Amino acid sequence: MDPLAAIRDTFFQECEEQLAELETGLLAMEAGATDSETINAVFRAVHSVKGGAGAFSLDDLVRFAHGFETVLDEVRAGRLEPTADALKVMLRAADVLADLVRAARDGGGFVETETSAAELRALLGGEAGDDDAGAEEDWGDFAFTPLGVADAAEAPTAGRWRIALRPRADLYAKANETALLLRELKRLGEIEVTLETSGLPPLADLDPEAAYLAWTILLTTERERAAIAEVFDFVDGDCDLTIEQDGADPLADAFADEPPAPEAAADLDIAALIAKAQAAAEPVEAEPRSAPAPEASRARAQEPAASSAASPTIRVDLERVDRLIDLVGELVINQAMLSQRVLEAGIARASGVAMGLDELEQLTREIQDSVMAIRAQPVKSVFQRMPRLAREVAALTGKQVRLVTEGEGTEVDKTVIERLTDPLTHMIRNAIDHGLEGPEAREAAGKPAEGVVRLSAAHRSGRIVIEVADDGAGINRERVKAIAAERGLIAPDAVLSDEETDNLIFMAGFSTASEVSDISGRGVGMDVVRRSIQALGGRISIASRPGKGSTFTMSLPLTLAVLDGMVVTVAGQTLVAPLTAIVETLQPKACDVHSLGGDARVIAVRDSYVPLIDVGQALGYRATPLDAATGVALLIESEGGARAALLADDIQGQRQVVIKSLEANYRQVPGVAAATILGDGRVALILDIDTIVAVSRGADLARSERRMATAAG
Amino acid sequence: MSLTILTVDDSRTMREMLRLALADAGFEVLQAEDGVHGLEVLELAAPDVIVTDINMPRMDGFGFIEEVRGDPRHRVTPILVLTTESDGVKKNRARMAGATGWIVKPFNPVTLVDAIRRVAA
Repeated sequence: MDPLAAIRDTFFQECEEQLAELETGLLAMEAGATDSETINAVFRAVHSVKGGAGAFSLDDLVRFAHGFETVLDEVRAGRLEPTADALKVMLRAADVLADLVRAARDGGGFVETETSAAELRALLGGEAGDDDAGAEEDWGDFAFTPLGVADAAEAPTAGRWRIALRPRADLYAKANETALLLRELKRLGEIEVTLETSGLPPLADLDPEAAYLAWTILLTTERERAAIAEVFDFVDGDCDLTIEQDGADPLADAFADEPPAPEAAADLDIAALIAKAQAAAEPVEAEPRSAPAPEASRARAQEPAASSAASPTIRVDLERVDRLIDLVGELVINQAMLSQRVLEAGIARASGVAMGLDELEQLTREIQDSVMAIRAQPVKSVFQRMPRLAREVAALTGKQVRLVTEGEGTEVDKTVIERLTDPLTHMIRNAIDHGLEGPEAREAAGKPAEGVVRLSAAHRSGRIVIEVADDGAGINRERVKAIAAERGLIAPDAVLSDEETDNLIFMAGFSTASEVSDISGRGVGMDVVRRSIQALGGRISIASRPGKGSTFTMSLPLTLAVLDGMVVTVAGQTLVAPLTAIVETLQPKACDVHSLGGDARVIAVRDSYVPLIDVGQALGYRATPLDAATGVALLIESEGGARAALLADDIQGQRQVVIKSLEANYRQVPGVAAATILGDGRVALILDIDTIVAVSRGADLARSERRMATAAG
Repeated sequence: MSLTILTVDDSRTMREMLRLALADAGFEVLQAEDGVHGLEVLELAAPDVIVTDINMPRMDGFGFIEEVRGDPRHRVTPILVLTTESDGVKKNRARMAGATGWIVKPFNPVTLVDAIRRVAA
């Protein structure tokens, strides 16, 4: 890739990070953070965006960022109070900045900035137009060097200049050097240098750090005065300097105010002098060396908090990581095959080979975990998009919302993160649009006018659990039931538990909003959210308390590459059931199984009856159902808490399997989620339990209808 | 022998641009992400010129310059301040802290290398 294009990519990546940082910081300030570290971080974020944008000549972005930065600088300097209103303006400005960045990245169209820019100017009070002027002034210096070249072209005639230079000690203390200045002057033309040593004291009185010498330079150049002045740009203020056009009588002028340099001094052995001065400098150094030390430790001690974030990192192409993960997957399979071969060969468990294999297995598992960890990322990247969404939805609905996020550092596979954005977006929208009441209704209910939506993430037993909780009115169960009945989703007289009622909102075709609102009504219901969570191998549930609010809980696997599975045999086939869905396994007794007519059966599990589904029949491996008493039942809980028992011939055991996509390698098969390769090298299908349950219910229904139709005919 | 330049900047974009421009000009490039990191690098290396940003987390450019000037090993190493602030206040503060010179962002490789050449022995 073209290095500049690569840097451009880096810039936009960095912009995203800075924008996130900016938003986090502003929200922290809104929540009352007033520490300088937060304010500085916010300032730096905008500043960095501006700096990079300047390098890529993204003028709109630079101009807007500059105006924003000016406001933040005022806040940073304590001249502008970050009031709630001011922070709202800044948050809107952050959104506009984000839009500008994205427009610049994607070559997108026009972004309306004036409204926000005007709001920012208003914060500064009466300094309208300041940002534009500032922006111009800021970049003006950039053109400085080319200017000199242009001037040279205009004025080609050679001129003679007399330059008198008397450095002060400060010049040297800042690591500037007269010799280098002379070298620069020489680049401009012919120079004639005279050293002026009259100020030099006797060696005994000489301070090695002081400046005693002066120079007079006669320069013949075609260049302008500006070009000469530029040579001394860095030393301006640290020396006495005069630059004069050399008149008819150069020498008279040059030394008019100074006595001519005494011959003796000019003859001084400079090299010897410098050597002595250096020797003398050694002991003096001890002073500056010791003095700043306590200051140094103080400066470092002041800001230890931020340092934890800056652990060294490298950036790697995702493809490389994925290739590595693939290979490790193969390694795991290979290792399992090897173990099985060794077992089959009848080698003793205690033998060196078997023990070596055990170690290999452990190592493989560790490598696998470590590689998975590379893909793991904090959910922060998704969570960070939500505050803006919450602000927008709040503005559209006229509700007051505070979005609280927790556990942003919780890590999960990158793919999971990417596919979390849409469901989370929808759930946050829902929580504000449907969950929270308007400010008046809230106050009437004795709650603060501002509603709280809490978005949190945590690791729980090998999965990531994400919750979206609101403190709104809770689910209106009467209304939910009425709507479900109206849409034919349930029988009008159906008796449902609270939990079952709440879960109705996950059904396809359900929407509680009596009029389709602009926010949530986009043809996407909670059923779609549930399906996308399921597609990630996760589950979603709801808990609601009237008047107190609702909590949606999603539980997702940390990675999509491996799965803890129960390996079972069904009609001679080896299948894998995801362990997360399995509640328990049981040995059915004939007396517990009851037929409901047709092939439909239920099994008594303690005090309740659950549908018994023969996996072999559901997948079409066999036509007649297996005798329940000869098989093993897996009690599973599908999404929404419904239970069923899956009947298999036998259980082989629990195993971690590497998931191989069936869709990518073959095609989608109903009832099968994916495939894996077992230790013996055979392919085993991974069951899609929810589909099996849903399909067999439908099949039961279809069969009984057929039978009834046949009976009627 | 080619000159070694230490750049101190918290922006990855800037670091990459600096590296590209300086490496193209034949310099050896060392990089640090903020003032504290810069001082750590200076424990082990003796660059010929230091180029530093002003606005950085942990330790800003002003603090960094003061620290470097207080270190006998690096007190005469030229330090160029790299910043979008071209206003006199920032420039002056950097100079008070001991900066040798400055480069105004956005820089082009020519102005950058030119400024380094001006202060490098």
